[in-house]
Amino acid sequence: MSAPAAVFELRLRALPRFRVDLAGVTPLALGALGEAEAGRVAIRHGNEALALGELFEIRRRPANAPALHFEGDLSRFDRLAWEMEDGEIRVDGPVGHYAAARLRGGLVAVAGDAGGFAACEMAGGELAVAGSVGDFAAAALPGSMDGMRGGTLVVRGDAGARFADRMRRGTAFVFGNAGDFFASRLVAGTIALGGRCGAHPGWAMRRGTLVFAGETPAVPATFVETGHDLRVIWTLLARDLARAGGPFTALPDRRVRRFAGDIAVDGKGEWLLPE
Amino acid sequence: MEINGIAIDDTFAEAFPMKATRLVVTAHNETWAMHAAVAATGFATSVIACGCEAGIERHLDAAETPDGRPGVALLMFSMSGKELAKQVERRVGQCVLTCPTTAVYAGLADGEPIALGRNLRFFGDGWQISKMIGGVRYWRVPVMDGEFVAQETTPVVKAVGGGNLLILARDTDAALAAAEAAVATMRAVPGVILPFPGGVVRSGSKVGSRYKALPASTNEAFCPALTGLAAKTSLTPEVRCVMEIVIDGLTEADVTTATRAGMQAILERGAAAGVVRLSAGNYGGKLGPFHFHLRRIIAPEAAS
Repeated sequence: MSAPAAVFELRLRALPRFRVDLAGVTPLALGALGEAEAGRVAIRHGNEALALGELFEIRRRPANAPALHFEGDLSRFDRLAWEMEDGEIRVDGPVGHYAAARLRGGLVAVAGDAGGFAACEMAGGELAVAGSVGDFAAAALPGSMDGMRGGTLVVRGDAGARFADRMRRGTAFVFGNAGDFFASRLVAGTIALGGRCGAHPGWAMRRGTLVFAGETPAVPATFVETGHDLRVIWTLLARDLARAGGPFTALPDRRVRRFAGDIAVDGKGEWLLPE
Repeated sequence: MEINGIAIDDTFAEAFPMKATRLVVTAHNETWAMHAAVAATGFATSVIACGCEAGIERHLDAAETPDGRPGVALLMFSMSGKELAKQVERRVGQCVLTCPTTAVYAGLADGEPIALGRNLRFFGDGWQISKMIGGVRYWRVPVMDGEFVAQETTPVVKAVGGGNLLILARDTDAALAAAEAAVATMRAVPGVILPFPGGVVRSGSKVGSRYKALPASTNEAFCPALTGLAAKTSLTPEVRCVMEIVIDGLTEADVTTATRAGMQAILERGAAAGVVRLSAGNYGGKLGPFHFHLRRIIAPEAAS
């Protein structure tokens, strides 16, 4: 039998002095607890352990699906939704680093910005960031071979450098601009960019698809144009990407050029450049 | 029971469980989608020797297909999921992959998946590309006109095969005209195919034969040439031609709907058009779990 679902509203009392590790604070973990019990859940604050209730005013109400709603500036809170399996987390402000890192399911929605390594090694579910994300979003954790490996990342603002470094599956959207080494060492997956990107996009990408819906980047010498008719796969892909809205809405109506690369490595990746 | 002068036998069509899948084949235009569809569903009249029973379910507008091109929905039926997988792979590999501009997709939402593009991708000899779009995996195989796109798998569902309707008529012209009218109506029913040529079969069979090697043979009870000769006949002297329509459907309800549509089309034409009786083929009811009682199908209240 599954635990009764509940929505927890967590209002930040004051900005903490040090960084706080939110790993383990997930809708499923808190769902079975009462208000007071949830307040006693231990989290790391700098070097010390702290009760969740010391940082947040917690209110619980029964609901159909487990969820956490955070209110306040969570920019010093790292590892939001770390390894979360299911449920929903909403934050009405910014969050710190590793937001939705290693996410496996459920939805994480951030109304502000997210720090570095957002959605890194995410394997399922969705992270939607209304603001911008830092460097290495959808990338790999230090020492790992693979970055994001499933799910959906939606960034409505800009992305930092190394976006989707070593990503291998899933779909990522950046509505704004991306930094240098966009999709570097991409293993596979689909990334759609609405704005422009910095230097060396797609550097050493092996497979996967980059869709540049905004400004067309200069195509490096290690990418070759393929002149074939790719309307079938483009229609399938563009219709799916268009559901994200914004700069991607008109994709199905645009004709597209395709470049294959990076032939310095595997060369089975592709850039799709809508005209 | 008699409607418009046509007798309806108090009998039932006996049908069997089969495994089925729906494929959506699209192409640059309807002509090429049809070429692929006709080829892929060719030589698929009966599982007795074809491996599967297949047919064109309907045409699809560009607005109805995943890639926005005109297409055709195919239904394929087999006795087992394994045999169906073999047939899908062979037929799609030889008749759809080869046909200019085509792409192929699964046409059912749920069911046990079997390979569609999963094995055909190896035709790409290492140049094939996988693409996950909206949680569905597609394979892109480079071919001479661009690339062949195929969904990785297609779901298989339990289905019903061998529904049938026998048209007993005064002569060949009357039997054919009735059969054609019925087929035209029945083909409009979603979820069914009529696998025989033109939807009609003239060689209705019984199980077994006097020859050891032959598992099926002519059904002498319905052969007008044997009316006065065979020990058992279902015909009267005025019946000189019999046609059968075999129906495979995704569900029992689909087969019922198609049978009713066919019967209505024939009954509306009346006895003056030359049809004497409507009947159905069965094996005594012990072999197939699905029974389609003609009288209950055409007049549910009167027969009950």
